[in-house]
Amino acid sequence: MTEKITVALAGNPNVGKTSIFNAITGSKQHVGNWPGVTVERKMGKRKHKDIEMQIVDLPGTYSLTAYSLDEIIARDFIIEEKPDIVVQVIDATNLERNLYLTTQLMELGTKLIIALNMTDLALAKGDSIEVQKMQEFLEVPVISTIGSRGGGIEDLLDSITEEIHRTRTNENVFVYDGEIEKSADELGNVLADDPYYSHYPSRWFSMKLLEGDENIIKKAKESGNYPQIRKILQRTDADSFEAKIADQRYKTIQTMLRQVCNINTDHLSGSDMVDRVVTNKYLGIPIFLSLMWAAFEVTFTFATPFMNIIDIFFGWLAETASDVITISWLASLVGDGMIAGVGSVLIFLPNILLLFFMISLMEDSGYMSRAAFIMDKVMSKIGLHGKSFIPLIMGFGCNVPAIMATRTIEDSRDRLITILIAPFVSCGARLPVYVLLAGAFFGRDAGIVIFGLYALGIFVALISAKLMRSTIVKGEDTPFIMELPSYKIPTLKGSILHMWERGKIYLKKAGGIILIGVVGIWLLASIPAPGSGGTFASEEIYGTTDSMIGFIGQIIEPLVAPLGFDWKIAVALMFGVVAKEIVVGSMGVLYGVGDNEDSLTEILAAGAMTPLAGLGLMVFTLLYVPCFACIGVIKRETGSWKWTVFQLLYGTGLAWIFAFVLYQVGSRIGLFA
Amino acid sequence: MEQHYGKTEITFAALAGVLYTILGMYHIAEGIGIDIGIYEGMAGSLFIPGDILGGFCLVVTGGVFLYGFKEMMQGINAGVSFLYVGILMSLLFMMVYLLIMGGNLLDSFIVPQDYEGWSIMETFRPGIYLGILSLAGILYWKDRFSLNEVLVFREGA
Amino acid sequence: MKEKTLNFIEPETSVKVLKVTGQKSSRKRILDMGLTPGTRVEVIRRAPLGDPVEFKLKGYNLSLRKKEAETVLVEIIE
Repeated sequence: MTEKITVALAGNPNVGKTSIFNAITGSKQHVGNWPGVTVERKMGKRKHKDIEMQIVDLPGTYSLTAYSLDEIIARDFIIEEKPDIVVQVIDATNLERNLYLTTQLMELGTKLIIALNMTDLALAKGDSIEVQKMQEFLEVPVISTIGSRGGGIEDLLDSITEEIHRTRTNENVFVYDGEIEKSADELGNVLADDPYYSHYPSRWFSMKLLEGDENIIKKAKESGNYPQIRKILQRTDADSFEAKIADQRYKTIQTMLRQVCNINTDHLSGSDMVDRVVTNKYLGIPIFLSLMWAAFEVTFTFATPFMNIIDIFFGWLAETASDVITISWLASLVGDGMIAGVGSVLIFLPNILLLFFMISLMEDSGYMSRAAFIMDKVMSKIGLHGKSFIPLIMGFGCNVPAIMATRTIEDSRDRLITILIAPFVSCGARLPVYVLLAGAFFGRDAGIVIFGLYALGIFVALISAKLMRSTIVKGEDTPFIMELPSYKIPTLKGSILHMWERGKIYLKKAGGIILIGVVGIWLLASIPAPGSGGTFASEEIYGTTDSMIGFIGQIIEPLVAPLGFDWKIAVALMFGVVAKEIVVGSMGVLYGVGDNEDSLTEILAAGAMTPLAGLGLMVFTLLYVPCFACIGVIKRETGSWKWTVFQLLYGTGLAWIFAFVLYQVGSRIGLFA
Repeated sequence: MEQHYGKTEITFAALAGVLYTILGMYHIAEGIGIDIGIYEGMAGSLFIPGDILGGFCLVVTGGVFLYGFKEMMQGINAGVSFLYVGILMSLLFMMVYLLIMGGNLLDSFIVPQDYEGWSIMETFRPGIYLGILSLAGILYWKDRFSLNEVLVFREGA
Repeated sequence: MKEKTLNFIEPETSVKVLKVTGQKSSRKRILDMGLTPGTRVEVIRRAPLGDPVEFKLKGYNLSLRKKEAETVLVEIIE
């Protein structure tokens, strides 16, 4: 009979935890979110020696305090879900800080195995580690692994299967100084009296109380004998205990390290040398920008042929469907609605895959932290983290992968704000709208106008970030404490896996929303307006006054009239939610010139619209509701309809206000008249 | 302390630095419409496009080489790291240009109507032929770029 | 020997941590990262725009904004 066990993978960030996870589970993994939050949870399965293991990848943490969501998730999982075994992945080149987390995991009283990862690098660096001695000292199994090449994984699995049937507890390994121990004992006695606590490892609970851990104190307050606990705590000074506990953990680690390893500190590593260049005072920023250019070119320019393939294929499919299906409304539904909808989901896939491949290279190599280090000063001015810079830059290509790229930002509030402001960065799909309108109305000055729109987008994004930081996404600034890990050569397998995972998430989670949106717009454009007498889904009424969308356009005309727009513009903007470049195409249809952009330019320039209203339309296009694909990923990445709707209303509200002020003030003072 | 570079490193940094900087500036000049060619059609014969951003990247790469040249001339041992990073950067840009070239070629089969009269050489760029220099460099110094996952330059200063 | 806060230390200087002050949450994180009293810290460099600052301690590299570095009391090791 097979036995089923749960194995949790814990460890610091940047220790190769993901490569160990990948090596154990292979392709059998599932990515989702932790319940109630948008922190990602990866799970996988592996069968070894008749034992079926469910592997849960905990968030990478340096400690187990209550100050960060990641840390709370990791420790709650260990305490509440009680995995059968916890494997801590340790970076062998960076033992001291990694073992700090070990001390805390041990106090949790869980069964622990240490995967001493990157042993090859430690060796190359000139360190020597006596694994056997380390094992004796820590009293837990220590297994050498090389995650990137799958080395030591079998040994690790063997060790898990052995350890699972052994009884042992790791409590009390670390002994603190007299005063702390005395208070911990007293607390332990009180806790032992109340069955309420039997769920928690008592020593860990006492230590956390002594450290003044808010989360744990809150839990203690719910119990009957809290007054007794409070009495003990009042005698102690949590602030000094906290420093002492951290200090003594590190001291114990140092004592052990002196006996088990010999670390070569006497050399300038390759990482230090690379850092001298890429964080150089004069060259650091230019190098960063040129690497951004490279990432941008690969993501957007190199993607073109693949996007064309998808485009042509779905165009052909839609046409074939229309030819084959003889019922005309059904042909239109399948062709213009559903197939076009699926196409509009898939068209972003090349961008997303390539961007995540590039991001994975930057993250796995260690450059991402340097990028954040270099750009942090700029981003901190608007209350964000250096890591927010890259998603915003990528937004110039397309907001969809940009919003997905916010996954690299650890702090949830920074991430939320970055997602909410990303749609204001003017993406490539908006450019055709600007080119047409600016060309029609401003002729030789079109370049300046377009540049101004890009600048306005950045301005609105920055101001919004600042505004949101001080209002709706308030809270003290997260301290900026970031490790700059040593550089590693990324593995192709790791990057491809990461890229594939993102692509899958996009298709699964955002695809549905995009599809519904596109088909919804098709319905509106195909249902005849009340009283028009048109035929459902006939070519004659599609998107015209005789269709529902035209009808709605006329109803909402008074809303957009103060901006200098008529109902046709209102309809074109509604179509624009499918994809912003469609604004141009639908204006062509509505002004009766079809696909011919030159004629559209002529009609507009001849006075179908004033230049001022044209400028207003460009501003409106920049700021209003992003496209369905964007809405889909905002929902997926914020995990909340509330924030998604907020972004839509906020953006559209801003668009309206900007266009309103521009048109009203502009026409008073005779701007472009 | 033992010196970790010699005349080869210094010469390479100077040569690559000058070539990348000049050709990069030429890209930028073409991009803003100033003809700095010495002879008629010089930009075309060197495959230089009007490309401000691409030119900027080449200038930055040149700058990294020249900074290394300056430090090595001053006798700073770690100055050689600028040479190594410069080589890695130029190879990266070479790769990007080759990808774009490949992408264009692929695109010309997919939408041939957009590519009438087009030849693959139209996407050939200085970033590609200059990269050959760095390719030679990485082969010559291959023992310094350890592939041991970590970029350990074995003869680190 | 004079006490200083870590943000005032020039690059390429070694210091010893005396005390971490500041708000509870950031103090705890700084301690967890190993800036416990007595730890030797090297100031490596400032970012190109002057902030944040990179440090080396316990064999790894860490960066803090000046705002966080200000909460770390240190003395210079001669």
